[in-house]
Amino acid sequence: MKRLGLCVLLVCLIPARALAQDAQPSAAASGLWFVAGAASGTLRGHCQDCVQDFPFRHGGALVGNAGYRVNPRLSLGADLFWMQWRNESGRIRATAILAAAQFRPWESKGFFVKGGAGMALVRNWVQTLGPNPDNSKALALVLGSGWEFNPKGRYGLQLFAMQHVGALGDLQTVNGSVADVTANFWSLGAAIVIR
Amino acid sequence: MRYVCAVAVSLVTCLATARSVGAQAPDAPAQETPDLVQQLPNPIVSFVSTPVTFNWEQSAGSLNTKEAQRACDGCPPRRIGMSLLQTTGINVIYGLGNLARGQVTGRITPKTWWANMQQGWVWDLDDFTVNQIGHPYQGSNYFNAGRANGLSFYESAAVTAFGSGTWEYFGETNHASLNDLINTTLGGITLGEMFHRAGWLIRNTHATGKRRLWSEIGATAIDPITGLNRFASGDSSRVTDKPSDLVPSSLSGVASAGALWRGSQSSAFNQAGDPFLEVDAYYGDTNVGRSRTPYDAFWLRMRFGGGRSFSEARVRGRLFGQPIGKSGLQFSVIQTYNYQNNDVYSTGSQAIDAAIGTTRALSPRTNFWILGWGGVTVLGAVDSLPLGVTEKPEEETPSAGQGVSEGPRYYDYGPGSDFGGLARLTRDGRDVALFFYVGRQIYSLDGVRANHFLQHARVDLLFPMRGSLGLGVSGEYFDRRSYYQDAERTTRKYHSPQVRAYFTWRSQ
Repeated sequence: MKRLGLCVLLVCLIPARALAQDAQPSAAASGLWFVAGAASGTLRGHCQDCVQDFPFRHGGALVGNAGYRVNPRLSLGADLFWMQWRNESGRIRATAILAAAQFRPWESKGFFVKGGAGMALVRNWVQTLGPNPDNSKALALVLGSGWEFNPKGRYGLQLFAMQHVGALGDLQTVNGSVADVTANFWSLGAAIVIR
Repeated sequence: MRYVCAVAVSLVTCLATARSVGAQAPDAPAQETPDLVQQLPNPIVSFVSTPVTFNWEQSAGSLNTKEAQRACDGCPPRRIGMSLLQTTGINVIYGLGNLARGQVTGRITPKTWWANMQQGWVWDLDDFTVNQIGHPYQGSNYFNAGRANGLSFYESAAVTAFGSGTWEYFGETNHASLNDLINTTLGGITLGEMFHRAGWLIRNTHATGKRRLWSEIGATAIDPITGLNRFASGDSSRVTDKPSDLVPSSLSGVASAGALWRGSQSSAFNQAGDPFLEVDAYYGDTNVGRSRTPYDAFWLRMRFGGGRSFSEARVRGRLFGQPIGKSGLQFSVIQTYNYQNNDVYSTGSQAIDAAIGTTRALSPRTNFWILGWGGVTVLGAVDSLPLGVTEKPEEETPSAGQGVSEGPRYYDYGPGSDFGGLARLTRDGRDVALFFYVGRQIYSLDGVRANHFLQHARVDLLFPMRGSLGLGVSGEYFDRRSYYQDAERTTRKYHSPQVRAYFTWRSQ
């Protein structure tokens, strides 16, 4: 059901580009860089000494960027990623706040790459679902790429694929300490861009 | 070891040629741009001056297009696609190198690619030198694939991230390593721009014939990717001005050779001193001027010997500079790469700092320069033993095959913060006294769970002798406190004093 909802959202977002273009065909872009959107995400844990194979878990995610356009190809700012997964036992939630740069190698083309580093706040990781949540801070990185429609206009739409990683260090769980834990988040989605 | 050799070859070549060529004045008279027809390479001249020239059949039309892609006469043509292609080619070459050395990690297949993509990012267990020098050097090749194809510093930074990401996923059977991603990307940017600018220092673009050829070969030893591109495109024989943003406002260097005596936790000082050769290079002036050109000013220190064949590398490159009003203060944003690896301790880091400094004239001949900074250590590494282990065990032969690191790894990784200060007293442009301090906190996320606080202070006193020669003595103190997160909250302290006596040779 969630996936269906996300698909509907993505389909709805696509015409937004055309509408935005029609509304302001020649509006000059400002120095602002603002991105907001949604994605379908997959998360998975890993730890260096664990023998078990952790499952992939799928859920919805929200993404956002706010920052400054250094030049027509390069934007710098903050990157926000939020993802949640839940079942009857509890929920896993991750929020990553990063300093990120988005770069379009070809000025006239919409292709972009993105990278950044920052911090993630992770609630419940690996299989630690229960009434008492475990909260951890983590070093976070992001790498991603995508395509931006109407890259020169004030409003646009981007489709993206990103991978966030959170390095949690030791995770204290109700069952004990899990060493050298990392968390990977893959996301595929769409976002509105305002410049 | 191959990385150390590469760096050593680069440095020796740089030292051998930098002084003779020196910094080209930024306001050097511009040469008239040659007519396009004159620029069509003569095959005979090309053969003599540049043995590897592939563009002699170029048409005037394609030359026109190529010229239009240049930001300046001496700049390379802008070719984004080619930079990405060459980055992929660099990965292929490193991969073939691994295969040739019999590394099982080089046996990649689409299955290993898919497995790596499914696994995501993990911490790796590789050797300290491989992770802290090898990967940054490999990253410098990616970075210079961007610079050699006319991309800007920040564009080349993105190319570095691309190269690093694709290598981690597709270049090895090992799972993608997030510490490699950071070290290759940030270290590659720092070392890459430093090598790129060092290459342009010794490249004599006004010379012709053998002199030109050797200057291009020397530059290629330092920055192979730019050099090979220039030979392939024929730029290695074009007479032009250097790109103006690659010409430093000033250039000086000091080479020091002598012996050092280092103490450790268990012994006061080693009886026999370790010989060392240290090189400091000052490219531009990091403490003055409004700057938006990354690395138009940087400081480099490299030390050979002194406990290891290659024991120290520091690069501090200015990304941004702005005078603060008329106060004489200067604000800078600085990217740093640090590597120290000797017989007592090992540490390395990639950091971004904000700095404030000022230069004061104490007399017409004496200047005092002071700088203070603080910032974020994106990833730091420090050697560390688990509680209860007092000595690093001998490494065992890996059972999973050559090149596969199985651990345990005796150093920790984590992000953190840093702060520090630098004071420099000069007389007649020569250093008389230097003070350097850096404090760094590393919150270990991989390895022994601890919060490490490292402090490093150093004082140098220098006495001029005859001409460029001088004499110096220095004292250094390294201190590490590790706050373990065990039940008892154990704290461990380590320190290492060091004294040095050396001769100096100054180039300006």
